[in-house]
Amino acid sequence: MQNVVFGIVTGSILAVATLGFALVRQTENFLNIAHAQMMALGAFVGVVLVDTYGMNIFAAGAITVVGLGALGVVLSAVFFQPVRHQGGTVLLFTSIGLALMMYACILALFGTQARFYPNVSGSLHRFAGIGIATNELVIIGLAFGSIAALQLFLNGTGLGRAIRAVASNDELARVRGVPVRSVSNTIWFISSAFGAMAGVMLGVLGSVNTEIGWHNILIVLAAAVLGGLRSITGVILAGLLLGIMMDVSALIIPTAYRPVVAFGVLVAVLILRPEGILSVQRRKDAVVT
Amino acid sequence: MTNPIFWVGVLTLAAIYASLAMALNVESGWGGMWDLGIAGLLAAGSYCYVILTADPDLGMRFAPGLSMWVAWPLSALFTGLVAFAIGAPALRLRREYFLITTLAFAEIIRQLVVIQADFTRGTLGIPNINRPFDSFVTGRDYNYVLLVIAALAAAVMYLVTRQIGSSPFGRTLRAARDNEAVALALGKRVNRMRIQTFVLAGILIGATAPVYLFYIRAISPQLFAPGITFTVWTALVIGGLGSIRGGLAGAFVLIVFTEAVGLIEVDPAHINILVAIEPMLVGLLLVLVLRFRPDGLFSERDSFGSRRTQAERASGRAATASSRPTAAAQASD
Repeated sequence: MQNVVFGIVTGSILAVATLGFALVRQTENFLNIAHAQMMALGAFVGVVLVDTYGMNIFAAGAITVVGLGALGVVLSAVFFQPVRHQGGTVLLFTSIGLALMMYACILALFGTQARFYPNVSGSLHRFAGIGIATNELVIIGLAFGSIAALQLFLNGTGLGRAIRAVASNDELARVRGVPVRSVSNTIWFISSAFGAMAGVMLGVLGSVNTEIGWHNILIVLAAAVLGGLRSITGVILAGLLLGIMMDVSALIIPTAYRPVVAFGVLVAVLILRPEGILSVQRRKDAVVT
Repeated sequence: MTNPIFWVGVLTLAAIYASLAMALNVESGWGGMWDLGIAGLLAAGSYCYVILTADPDLGMRFAPGLSMWVAWPLSALFTGLVAFAIGAPALRLRREYFLITTLAFAEIIRQLVVIQADFTRGTLGIPNINRPFDSFVTGRDYNYVLLVIAALAAAVMYLVTRQIGSSPFGRTLRAARDNEAVALALGKRVNRMRIQTFVLAGILIGATAPVYLFYIRAISPQLFAPGITFTVWTALVIGGLGSIRGGLAGAFVLIVFTEAVGLIEVDPAHINILVAIEPMLVGLLLVLVLRFRPDGLFSERDSFGSRRTQAERASGRAATASSRPTAAAQASD
């Protein structure tokens, strides 16, 4: 049971990261490999604010999330907008280039030394024999809080509806006068902010090192594919499922296999059920007929 | 400039990357299969070679201590088998999903290498890999021998891939990439061809793996992180995806450029910046080429487009559209 709790914590972080990723995939139509570097950057900016400048973790987290959200908008305008008309594969490779550049910046600015958030774990609570630390409770709460906020935003506001319109049919939305540019900026802000938030959470839970981005991109891809990319519920379920599977599998097989489990699940899902776990419709774009 | 040995090393590395990029071009450029799992295939070939030739004293569970001339073709074949095992399920998926699957398989292979430490020595790695002719030529002079080996490998790779590219098989492959329906209608067995191509690229990468090891001299799983896949891809995209010379030219531009920048003297206090230079340059080059010259230095049309008229070239996007039926028509030759 203890591992299930760990799995839920990992899974909620994963769900936050993957939602940001899936949002861009749905509206801009490409896999943004640089997303995981945004997570790494978030983890580092947060740790510097807390550790070096002695800020409160919540203040530091808020500054990181908003700051990197804004950075995401700038990066998309500089890197992705100019090559947008060339289609998904050029965008994908541009995002690999951007990921490499962000990785280089992280190496240059923060060095290769692993870093830790000081004094953030809080006290240990016990419920029916299962221990859970304050920081883990806060992570789960924040993760689901922000996902719920995103859901409300997408369903309840004009801009949110515009985003969903662009996601379901880009051209029709454009023709109908949806402000595509501001929708795009909003998406990049939310996506990067979610990535940065997941990064800070990962850092709080473990340690911060420069390889975070490369380690997480595959897990995020796995969760996104597992969730079927289309529905928010699917992504949340996929994130939780993957998190729990990775942590529970540690009981049966050595922990060293943890990433292999995630990728094994990914491969199995892609091959056996490429439409994702929740989707009824067969994913036409995924399978060779 | 600095000593010639340094530049011999740079050229050797460039030739190795050129071989890998040309092998990648066969499956990704012509076959349209966007493979992000080259690191995994390279790891399979490298570890197969190392295990077959390893010194039995290293305490690995399986160390037949074969001659390198036997192990070399065996590791190429083994990599082909691994490619088949990956390709058979993965090729049922389309572009993006295929790409994710190959990336995942590469990472699985790397993790397996780490975990199966009995066979591979895991993260410890294996030092002092035997190299051909190193009992005859010793010390610094060996670098020249290595350059000759790598250059020969690249030359053979160039000839082989050129042969594939201009053969009926290569034309059909490109036709199926551009318009699968037409190729199928012409009775081409597209899926079968794709898996053949994927395995062929695996064999070519597996055959290059030992040359890479001769250069690196010591093997560890860290070598096969996704970074190497991205570097090979960048080389190919810079040179021109789908062009015969693309991989060759792109790898030399990329490697000479990144290594030359590494020569800049940096204060040891700023060692971080030195480490960051390579990914920064690779990323920047990739972004710039995609933005300003998406066809690369040599485009596919330069390699194959002799029949295309000037008017089609001038009309930009229309030319690409009209080239599709052309490629398909060539396939029926």
